Amino acid sequence: MLPVETHHLCKQFGEFHALRDCTVAVEEGIVFGLLGPNGAGKTTWIRLLLGFLHPTSGTAIIFGTDVSIDSVRVRQQVSYLPGDACLPRHMKARGLIEFFASMHPLGDVQRSIAVAERLELDLNRRVAFMSTGMRQKLALAVVLGPRSPLLILDEPTANLDPTVRGEVLVLVHEAQREGRTVIFSSHVLSEIEDVCDRAVFLRRGELVLSQPIDALRDRHWIRGSCSQRIQLPDQSWSSSVILQQDEQGAFMVDASGELADVLRWLVGYPISGMRIEPVRLKTIYENVHRSGDLSVLGILAAEDAV
Amino acid sequence: MIHTQLAKKYVGQSGILWLGCALALFSFCWVRVWVVSLLDMGRFQVILEQFRDFERFAPIGFDQLFTYAGRVGMTYDEPVVLFCIVVWAIARGSDVVSGELNRGTMEMILAQPISRKELMMTHGFVSVLGLGLLAFFSWLGIWMGVQLTSVEETIATPTVKIPFVNLILPMELGEPEKRIVAMKDQIDCTLFAASTVNLFAFGFFVLALSTLMSSWDRYRWRTVGIVITIYVLQVVVFGLGKAAESLHWMTHLSFMDLYRPQPIAKVVMEDGAWAAWSLWPRETGDLWGPFGFTLCLLLMGTMLYWLALRIFTRRDLPAPL
Repeated sequence: MLPVETHHLCKQFGEFHALRDCTVAVEEGIVFGLLGPNGAGKTTWIRLLLGFLHPTSGTAIIFGTDVSIDSVRVRQQVSYLPGDACLPRHMKARGLIEFFASMHPLGDVQRSIAVAERLELDLNRRVAFMSTGMRQKLALAVVLGPRSPLLILDEPTANLDPTVRGEVLVLVHEAQREGRTVIFSSHVLSEIEDVCDRAVFLRRGELVLSQPIDALRDRHWIRGSCSQRIQLPDQSWSSSVILQQDEQGAFMVDASGELADVLRWLVGYPISGMRIEPVRLKTIYENVHRSGDLSVLGILAAEDAV
Repeated sequence: MIHTQLAKKYVGQSGILWLGCALALFSFCWVRVWVVSLLDMGRFQVILEQFRDFERFAPIGFDQLFTYAGRVGMTYDEPVVLFCIVVWAIARGSDVVSGELNRGTMEMILAQPISRKELMMTHGFVSVLGLGLLAFFSWLGIWMGVQLTSVEETIATPTVKIPFVNLILPMELGEPEKRIVAMKDQIDCTLFAASTVNLFAFGFFVLALSTLMSSWDRYRWRTVGIVITIYVLQVVVFGLGKAAESLHWMTHLSFMDLYRPQPIAKVVMEDGAWAAWSLWPRETGDLWGPFGFTLCLLLMGTMLYWLALRIFTRRDLPAPL
């Protein structure tokens, strides 16, 4: 049973399509990254998973339960940190942790307090007198306390200083080691690269790309110019290489895996201005959201990956 | 259906407001009884007779006000009493959905395994309980005032009536004799039990109306504005209906017409305690008995709560602003 499955999930507000035909499956025990600019549909997708929004069409299934049929049962297995976690201002931090721990069947006050202490949070302070960062730490302590099998974090490191950000990423790793599945939405690409096993890219309500993060680590783009037409040899390594060359001779090679064979092949051509760059999430992100051209990336489109 | 932890949170959240309203109601009702004791009944009667032309604006006939029970019963029509009840009802009713959405706290609460129905029922339970206690405190204030207040009464001098000329002459000369009488000997506070329930039912209706408006809105200030507008319009419609005989039908368009603590107290005074709980009309032309007004408010409130629940469970919850 998959932790999260959505099938052709759509959400429309009047004429505006917040999410279109989104089909995703999240495997158990992974950290699943959600990427996209503001308004791409990340939060809408998350809110549909929790039953805050009713889908226009399609289904969302969490651990085998359809959210639109029994959202309470779904939320028994989920801990959710909203993008802008607002907490009751009249309560003190400790009281608030106790309150939320008592609300969740898997809640654990001691674990929440331990997280709060790791994040160096003063538990005797009233929420109303906390800074934005302190409130975010408190919300994290509330959410990371329950031993729920699914953890959904919407921009968990927003408003936090670099040290605490690092600690949050460690906590996410720890949650994964405990066998929990984590959905991690963030605008900070380096964080996604650090913690996620797979990332999906959303653009204008559509899921446009699903990218395993591991595959990025040994992937490079080689750019340059060649007066001759470059031919891709028929070798065992060439199946993981994609070559594009325009009429002026400018070329781009997208290579996954060992670079030595690729470089030996290219040395045989009169190449000038050659540059080798590792493919980072940032590169993909910019291509997806600026050019919108996925073919240049030579990577799997969303439907193929899911 | 009632979530204990959430109920505790709502109690904590509304505690200060409730305490303020309860204190205001209790002390005002007590003081109001004491004020009644300050004004001699004879002098009060003379003053009131000057305003006979405006009797139709009064919630009850002036004749009933010439009794201590009638004057004390006026407490339920005092703006302070209604204000406290309405403030509680609007503040709590508007909080349930649009209040939580406005503060952004709804998301964290509903992220927990709790149904929207459970949330609204729990909120309603705490609010209705608070309202019931407020109504009780208003009665308690009256009871306390009645127990601790005495009135100075002028003993009527024996008179003699001279036939043919119809002249009444006192048989004693000099200052009329006065005596101190305990208010509790004049008024039985159980007289106001049904009126207190009517006050509660009125508050319940306003609470349910606010809850309904809150259930589809996302801004609390707007919910409060809408409910206050409806309330003021209803008061205006009721006032117009009272002002002119030709517009009397308008009173039936206002829920204020169902708030009748004094006529209910009058029924108790005339026909005994049980008469206040009757649904059968007492006089020809009446649609229903005294309890009909209270029941109508309670039924309409329950219907508004049901509608609010239906809207809240079906709507999309917007992301915090």
